[in-house]
Parts: sequence; structure tokens; C-alpha cells
Amino acid sequence: MLIEIRNLTKSFQKGDETITPLRDVSLDIDAGEFVSLMGPSGTGKSTLLNQIAGIDKPNFGTITVNGTEITTISRSRLAKWRAANVGYIFQTHNLIPVLTAYENVELPLLLLPFNRAERRRRVQIALEAVELVDRASHYPRQLSGGQEQRVGIARAIVTDPKVVVADEPTGDLDSATSAHILDLLQRLNSDLGTTLLMVTHDAEAAAIAGRQLRLDDGRLIDDTQQKQSLITTAEGTANV
Amino acid sequence: MYKFTPYLVKTLWRHRGRTMLTVSGSAVALFVFCFVGAVQEGLDRLTSQNDSTLIVFQANKFCPATSHLPQDYDQIIRKMPGVREVVPIQVFTNNCRASLDVVVFYGVPAKKVQKIRDFELVAGSWSEFKSNQDSGIVGESVARRRNLKLGTKFSVGEVKVTVAGIFNSTDQSEEDYVYTHLDFLQRTPGMNLVGTVTQHEVLLEDSADAVRVAGLIDDEFRAGPVETDTRTKGVFQASSLADLVELIELSHYLGYACVGLMTMLISTTTFMAVQDRIKEHSVLQTLGFSGSIVFALVLAESILISVGGGVVGTGAAMLTLAGSGLSVGAEAVTIAFSPSVGLALTGLVGSLAVGIAAGVLPAVAAARADIINGLRQA
Ligand SMILES: Nc1ncnc2c1ncn2[C@@H]1O[C@H](COP(=O)(O)OP(=O)(O)OP(=O)(O)O)[C@@H](O)[C@H]1O
Ligand SMILES: [Mg+2]
Repeated sequence: MLIEIRNLTKSFQKGDETITPLRDVSLDIDAGEFVSLMGPSGTGKSTLLNQIAGIDKPNFGTITVNGTEITTISRSRLAKWRAANVGYIFQTHNLIPVLTAYENVELPLLLLPFNRAERRRRVQIALEAVELVDRASHYPRQLSGGQEQRVGIARAIVTDPKVVVADEPTGDLDSATSAHILDLLQRLNSDLGTTLLMVTHDAEAAAIAGRQLRLDDGRLIDDTQQKQSLITTAEGTANV
Repeated sequence: MYKFTPYLVKTLWRHRGRTMLTVSGSAVALFVFCFVGAVQEGLDRLTSQNDSTLIVFQANKFCPATSHLPQDYDQIIRKMPGVREVVPIQVFTNNCRASLDVVVFYGVPAKKVQKIRDFELVAGSWSEFKSNQDSGIVGESVARRRNLKLGTKFSVGEVKVTVAGIFNSTDQSEEDYVYTHLDFLQRTPGMNLVGTVTQHEVLLEDSADAVRVAGLIDDEFRAGPVETDTRTKGVFQASSLADLVELIELSHYLGYACVGLMTMLISTTTFMAVQDRIKEHSVLQTLGFSGSIVFALVLAESILISVGGGVVGTGAAMLTLAGSGLSVGAEAVTIAFSPSVGLALTGLVGSLAVGIAAGVLPAVAAARADIINGLRQA
């Protein structure tokens, strides 16, 4: 098992109010799986993704990725862990505007012990994967929205991470461009064996994933298994 | 860290207007700091001069124009224990009050100049000077300031001198003086100075106790004909410049204030840069940049700006100091403003320190910012 999530609870304090989007969530993801996550706005999809990506910490519960328990390690070690193990694809590409496509993709490699030649080789491969080799020296503002998102994807896969998470990667794109990006993600999964976890609002997009999850009212529902088996039990169960 | 240089430089370049303004502001601050530092250094050089030289002046007189000592005092002083050499000096200055354009003539027995000073002629010759009564050798600073060349005739008041040589000296402040023949200066039209001098300069043996010899000299002449006041050269110069000392000390504080201002300027710019890029820093941290790397990046930005300003400001100050030969003087003692390696280093190291001081707070803020909050920003 690549990712093991056990009894994850995350709440936020908003003034006097406590919001608990994730309540006792458990989930297993295998290496090489392509998992999509749907659900109404504000249910905690991004929150779950961020816990797995190691940029946020839960209040309770554990997340183990490839044998590393990431919920208890220090902030600085967690950063190192992210550099080597996680690729993050944002809704808006979030490229660094002052850097070229090439430099943006190279950025995560600077944190790892690769020499210049090795970095160049890896950036080349990543840019080839997203078919943007000819735009390597372009700045983000010189690229279209779809191209920017592809650079963002190249940046996420360039370190060959254990897991790639994508938070609504097509949320800002028109349908034709979306289709292109989804196709690309699917190929990454099938050709390179990248483990993918994608949050989306689009049922068609979710459908390309091998496994489709739904987060609703604190519960995680596996739509792939038609019987709507409850992977996660929460206090919310009583509401059903 | 060098791997991040393109990112750093491009980030600064992206906001080049802001960067240039901050660098310029820092440069101005450091220019002022170095400039007042040079004045302070010049003053320190004058007042800390070694104790092996005494200046004998007329008691209760301050301006060289009013001090008149019998020239033959030198014979009496010469015989005192610990005295190596006595030089009678007639001082003439165009301005006894504090001024930026002071020209000071030292009338000295021509054959003694080389004995008591380490001057090196960069133009002209000693023999030319010694054989011409109305000639003078001028310090490089004066020559530069007044545009004096070999053979130039120039006059200050009634004194008309021809330049027979231009000298430099290991003692910067000496380059602000013009040395002439003693008897020539004594015979200046309109002044009845023959037989009297402004002061005697007494060179002591290494073993001599300066304070004791000064006491002996003053005791000797207490009964007249003219009472003396003898101090070491450093103390004498400090008291001549007394009015300026406080002003210079004050300006020194202004120099520090400039550095403080520079710190805040750079800090503000860096804080703005951090606030502009809250999301960018969160993205970097998401990619795996640790808080310490973000800290280092922001600090490096601040240091680049301040050292940039430091190099420009210090460089401009050194060039100005070297090129202008500026000085300020009072009572015929002048403070030379001159560049020095120490001052340049102080400026550069200071700008580095400012960069660090100014960058720490914004860098901490950036490093500790919450990643999720940053990503949720528009
Ligand atoms: N940093 C935070 N501080 C306070 N509340 C937060 C924070 N992050 C998330 N929340 C709250 O937690 C809940 C879940 O947020 P989350 O962003 O995970 O939802 P989501 O399912 O991704 O929604 P969307 O589909 O709109 O992106 C929301 O009610 C949100 O307001
Ligand atoms: Mg979301």
C-alpha cells in the first residue's frame, strides 16, 4: 500500500465556530492508482489533498506514505520529504512569473542532489511528456492557459515523485483544453505509472480515473464499487 | 544557494524600479556615512598625533594672527633636556574662522623643511625652493583644490608665492599646507613680523616626557617677555578645532542616522516584496522549499539590495573624497577629508550588516507564513 490514511480528523477555527471538514477519514491508495475525488464545494476535498501532500497537518489520525508517517515529522523534514515525494498540480498553474518554463520545471530539482546535467536531462523528459519542449524559454505570460497548466504538470512530475496530487487541474480551463490536460494526466498514469489523486468538480473528468471517490458531509464514498460501500465511518453516518 | 541566483536576480529585476530606488537611497545614505566618517577620521588623525612633538604658542591667544613669540626662543628651548629640534614657524592663514576653504602658509627656515617633514615632491625640486625667497611648496590637496601648477604665482592677501614644488605626505592633513621661507613670510608687506614667529615646533627625543618638557618651557617664559602655552601637537590641534569637534561629532551621529534610515528603507522594500509574494512563497514551500530556504532567499534579496547600495555609495564617496581634496579648517589647522581603505571596508561591511538587519524580520515572516493561507490568496 502506498498511502494509508487512518482516522484523519481536521478542523478549522473560524472565530467562535469550529469547522470539521474531515472527520475520522480512512483511505488506502495503491501505487500506480489514479484516484479522483469529487464532492460539493466546501466539503474538505482540498483539505484532504493538502494533508496527503504534507503541506497541512491533521488534528488527529495518521498518514503513511511509502512507509513514512508524515503527520508527526518536523516542518523542515516534511519540506524535504515533499521535495522528493510529492508533485502538486494547482488549479491555477502557480508558475513563478519571473522564471522561464524551463526554470519553473527545474525549480523542484534544485532541492535534490542532482547536478546540472542530470537536472537538464530530467527537465527535458518532463517537458517532452507535456509536449512543450519548444516553449522551454518562454515566460508564463507568453504561454496560453493550457500551456501554463502543462508546465505546472511538468514541474509536478519532474522529480519522479511517489504521488502526484492535483486540485481541480482543469477548473480554470475551457472544455477542449481540459480534455487535453485530462488525457495527459491519464497517460502519465498509464505510461509512467504515476500515482495520481485528482480533485475535480467535473463528473466526466472524474470518470477517467480508475477509482472514483466522493467526499460528502465528512464521509468518503467509493463510487467505483456500485454498492456505495462506506470506506469511512463518521459521526455523519447517522444522517444517512 | 547559488543555484537560486537566477530566481533572486530575476525577482529583483522584475521590480527594478523599486529595486533601483532602494539601491539609490541606500547609496545616498552610505555616501553620507562615508563622508562624515572621512571627516571624523581626519579629525582623529590630527588629535591623536603622537606625543613626540610640542607646539609652543603665545599664552591666551588662539588665532595664529595674534600669537607673536620671539624667534630666538628657539635657542633657549633647544638647550632643554629631551629636545631634539626646534623649528620657529610663522603661520599665515586667509581665514581664522571655521571654513571649507582655508589656505595656510607655514613659514619655516627653508633648510629645515626636509628635516622635520617626510614630504616627497611629486613636481618641482627642493633646490628651486631653497634658492628662491618667494617660492613655496604646496601640498597636493591645496594644489588640486586651487588648481596650482608648477610655476603658478598665487596670492592670498598680501602674500604672493610662486609654486616651486608640489608634495605629498604620509600625513594627509599636511597636504593642505603651503610651506614658504620663514623670513619671506615675516617680511609680508603691512605686517611687522621680523624677529617674531607664531609658534615653535619642538621635536622631542624618544625618551622625553612630553608633558614635563612642556611644563619646563612654560615655566621658563612665565616671567616674559612673552608668556607661552605649550601642548602636544595633538592637543594643540584638538583645541584649535574645538568649535568644529562638536559639529563633527554631531555629523557623525547623522551618519549613523543615515544608516538607520537605510535599514528601514530596505526593510520596508523587503517587507513589500514578501507581501507581494505570499502566494509565491507558499507555492515554493509546496514544492518542497523549506522555511530556512525561503528565509535565506528573502535575506539574500535584502543583502543584494543593501550591498548594491553600499558598493555604489561607498565607491562614490571614495571617488569624491579622492578627487575633490576637500578640507575644513579653523585657526590654521585643517582637517583633510580623504578616502581610506578602512573607511571603504567599514562602508561595505556596514552595508552587509544593514542588509542582514533589514532582511531578518521580513525573512522570518516569509519563512513562517502558513502555506495553506498563502495558497488560498487570490
Ligand atoms: N485555512 C483555513 N481556515 C479556516 N477554514 C478553512 C481553511 N481551509 C479550509 N477551511 C474551511 O474548511 C472547509 C473545507 O475547505 P476545502 O477548501 O477543503 O473545501 P473544498 O472541498 O476543496 O471546496 P471547493 O470545492 O470549493 O474547493 C471549508 O468550509 C473552508 O471554509
Ligand atoms: Mg478546493
